[in-house]
Amino acid sequence: MATLDALMQLPGAMAAFEFRGSGELLEHRIAYPDRLNDSILDLLAHMCAANMSIATMQARGWERMTSMKGFYPVKAFTLVGFDWSVVVSGLHREQYKQDGKFSLPPFMGVVMSNETANYEAAFAALENQEPTP
Amino acid sequence: MSIMNDLLARPGVVAAGEYAYRGDRFSYRGDLTEEYARMASIMCRATTMGMNMEGGMLEALQPRSGLHPPRGWIVHGPDHTVCVVANVFCMIDNAKGSINDVIRFMRVTVPHASIDLI
Repeated sequence: MATLDALMQLPGAMAAFEFRGSGELLEHRIAYPDRLNDSILDLLAHMCAANMSIATMQARGWERMTSMKGFYPVKAFTLVGFDWSVVVSGLHREQYKQDGKFSLPPFMGVVMSNETANYEAAFAALENQEPTP
Repeated sequence: MSIMNDLLARPGVVAAGEYAYRGDRFSYRGDLTEEYARMASIMCRATTMGMNMEGGMLEALQPRSGLHPPRGWIVHGPDHTVCVVANVFCMIDNAKGSINDVIRFMRVTVPHASIDLI
């Protein structure tokens, strides 16, 4: 499972954070406190929780209504902003659910600068896998 | 049409589409039916609109944060990924395509929409 410090090693990482499914911000790391603070990370975490839920609902509905598979469960959601991007994942929660565990780990996310962002590396870090070459 | 053809020519892109912000038109290329493309356009448009509203809230809380105005979003599934920039979307086969490559291409190629359109 990814750690906040590991996520901060991603290219262009500006912040890394954990949040509950309800959106509440838990632990976080911030590389540039003059540009990001816990208040904006808290709002961002709530947005990411909402968008993960919407994306999951859409992926579920899409697979049920079409013959296309491979969209569900959503592994990560990314907001591509004008200069920064935010990647969040709750993949480990799915694994916990499949294992029948009731206490789920938090979602995790990373804020990156678009100039150097490596989305596939972020997905791999959040999923704790080596990126494909 | 050109952007959709350009996207489809990239490795792993299985379908691409474009929708009007006002929701009355869409077009598509690739491995989708007309009805699936219509559904995908509606879902992508709804999420893009929500994302712009959320970006506005972030901007109000902290101006010039780097997240506003949003350019797009990505939903990464186990086998397929949906990438959206402005009013253009595409679906990628994860095993065959590069999400970094597609997003870089879309960020450069798809014009940034005026906030008045959204």
